[in-house]
Amino acid sequence: MLTLNQVSRRYGGATALDGVDFVVPENTYMALLGASGAGKTTLLRLIAGFEEPDQGTISLNGARIDGQPSHLRDIGFVFQNFALFPHLTVAENVAFGLRHRAHAPLTNEAEIKDRTDAALQLVSLTGFGHRGVSAISGGQRQRVALARTLVCEPRIVLLDEPLGALDANLRSRMCDELKAIRERLGVSFLHVTGSETEALTMGDQVAVLANGRIMQSDAPDTLFSHPGNAEAARHLNAWNIFDAGLCRGDLGQGPIAVRFDQIDVSAKGTAPSARPSLQATYLTGEFNGPTALSFFRAADGTLLQVVDHLSQPRLPDLVEGQGYDLHFAADALRQFHGAA
Amino acid sequence: MESRILRPTLALYTVLFLLFLYGPMIVLTILSFQSADGGPQFPIREWSVYWYEHLLGFAETSRVSQLPVGDSLLRSIVLAFMTTVVSTVLGVMSAEAFRTRFKGSGPAFYLIILGMMVPGVLVGLGMALLSNTLGIARAWWGTSFVLHVVYTYPFAFLVMLAIFNRFDRTVEEASLSLGVSPAQTFRRVTFPIIFPGVLSAMLFSFTLSYDEFARTLFTAGRDLTLPLAIYGTFSVEIYPNIFAFGVLTTLFSFTLLVIYGLLMKRFTSKASRYSGQEDA
Repeated sequence: MLTLNQVSRRYGGATALDGVDFVVPENTYMALLGASGAGKTTLLRLIAGFEEPDQGTISLNGARIDGQPSHLRDIGFVFQNFALFPHLTVAENVAFGLRHRAHAPLTNEAEIKDRTDAALQLVSLTGFGHRGVSAISGGQRQRVALARTLVCEPRIVLLDEPLGALDANLRSRMCDELKAIRERLGVSFLHVTGSETEALTMGDQVAVLANGRIMQSDAPDTLFSHPGNAEAARHLNAWNIFDAGLCRGDLGQGPIAVRFDQIDVSAKGTAPSARPSLQATYLTGEFNGPTALSFFRAADGTLLQVVDHLSQPRLPDLVEGQGYDLHFAADALRQFHGAA
Repeated sequence: MESRILRPTLALYTVLFLLFLYGPMIVLTILSFQSADGGPQFPIREWSVYWYEHLLGFAETSRVSQLPVGDSLLRSIVLAFMTTVVSTVLGVMSAEAFRTRFKGSGPAFYLIILGMMVPGVLVGLGMALLSNTLGIARAWWGTSFVLHVVYTYPFAFLVMLAIFNRFDRTVEEASLSLGVSPAQTFRRVTFPIIFPGVLSAMLFSFTLSYDEFARTLFTAGRDLTLPLAIYGTFSVEIYPNIFAFGVLTTLFSFTLLVIYGLLMKRFTSKASRYSGQEDA
């Protein structure tokens, strides 16, 4: 179990992390979701020991690891750019840790070869060992990087946007493979990403990092349907967040959130009176295959999005520039107190 | 349209420029094949390799004494080698240090670079005076050696700085995260990757030290290095044997370059050995 307690990190005047409390349980695929610049990579670098926190403690299975040199922490790290050793072959890359690590290096060549082969097999790269790392594709490099880390049997594996450098098709395939590999090994993965789909697909648990703190850490379906605060909701890219005062009916003040797919649209003045509603102008639509996105602008300038599924269309024909009533079920809205 | 005129013009210009650059070298080479009774000027009275034989001591006794270059050549090579090793090691170490900002890194940078900027005559003279004051005997392996290092170390440092500038730090972090100690990481990851740069730094240091003149002139003491010895022979009279020697040293330099090129090639091709089908 990895535990971060009140971890802070500042760069000059800028605060990257501001008292992060975070737990990655045993045998869990933890996805960490955050916008670029939110401090995700910084968090991983602190855990791996490439940098030290200004405040707070990091411990692994109860023992503090902050302050320890990174090569003694026994934590795997998979880089976004893979960071393979360019002067070594695939097999030499994988065997590198076994052969040269400070603690209990292997000297028996047969054993090194066996474990290297097993690791390559785990990531479906059997027979690629003799190749140079510049002579394989991006997806293969990613798998070499993974094999190189896993072969050392780290206590936890940190993945820094591991799929960011891959194209979309490969990404979804690697998603499945990563999950399967992790389940086979039973080691915890902490996977950092800026993509909410990736986080929700991969994670047994998803944590949202924003403003230098962990905003929420929950199971993906809980997080998606019940974000605990506006920040968490914003990162899921599925919630409209707007001021309650915009709505007809007594919803009070403060930010509220309604999911893109739970808003209905009717002509101006025809919203059912039982449902909370607000007026907005239709801006434009965006077609992206199985779903269509419609953009509206509310009276105070807030941008609202409505998702329509092609199989079950529920929106009327919309005319750009015209006003409409947007309404939703009273139990569809999430109200947040305090934090904006 | 434009390139139809521009390209040939530029090509011609380049050829002429290269000829101008290598003109002296070519003249020297031709004159080195002068006959025994010929002088260091045109016309060639008769083609011969007499002056090469003379240089290497194979010719019969003649009115011209043999060039006194044997010992000084050895000295220069040893000195250049010593300088290369020390400058390159220092250059790599300080460039490594400059990868992270530290207090006083700005002044330290300029102090290092100063070594290649200050006029050689001044440093040479200064070193001579200093060694006199301190009572240290001047010698090519002592006072001159120090100045050679001061002179070549900035070059090695700058070469390595450029190499580290493009160096991807994450491969080192990857190595650390695999449990490999910083020292082993340097040996197994950093050094192999920067090795082409190290070779370049070595080449720079060697060639700069090998024909260094001004700094050595004041500090070499009694035993001369090669450039000093050659200069010494000018004061008597010039014979084509000095040209023959020039050709031989140039060949030596070319050999060094070829070795450098081969090492580079061998090293850089290693990373992309495999060629074949790409698949996902």
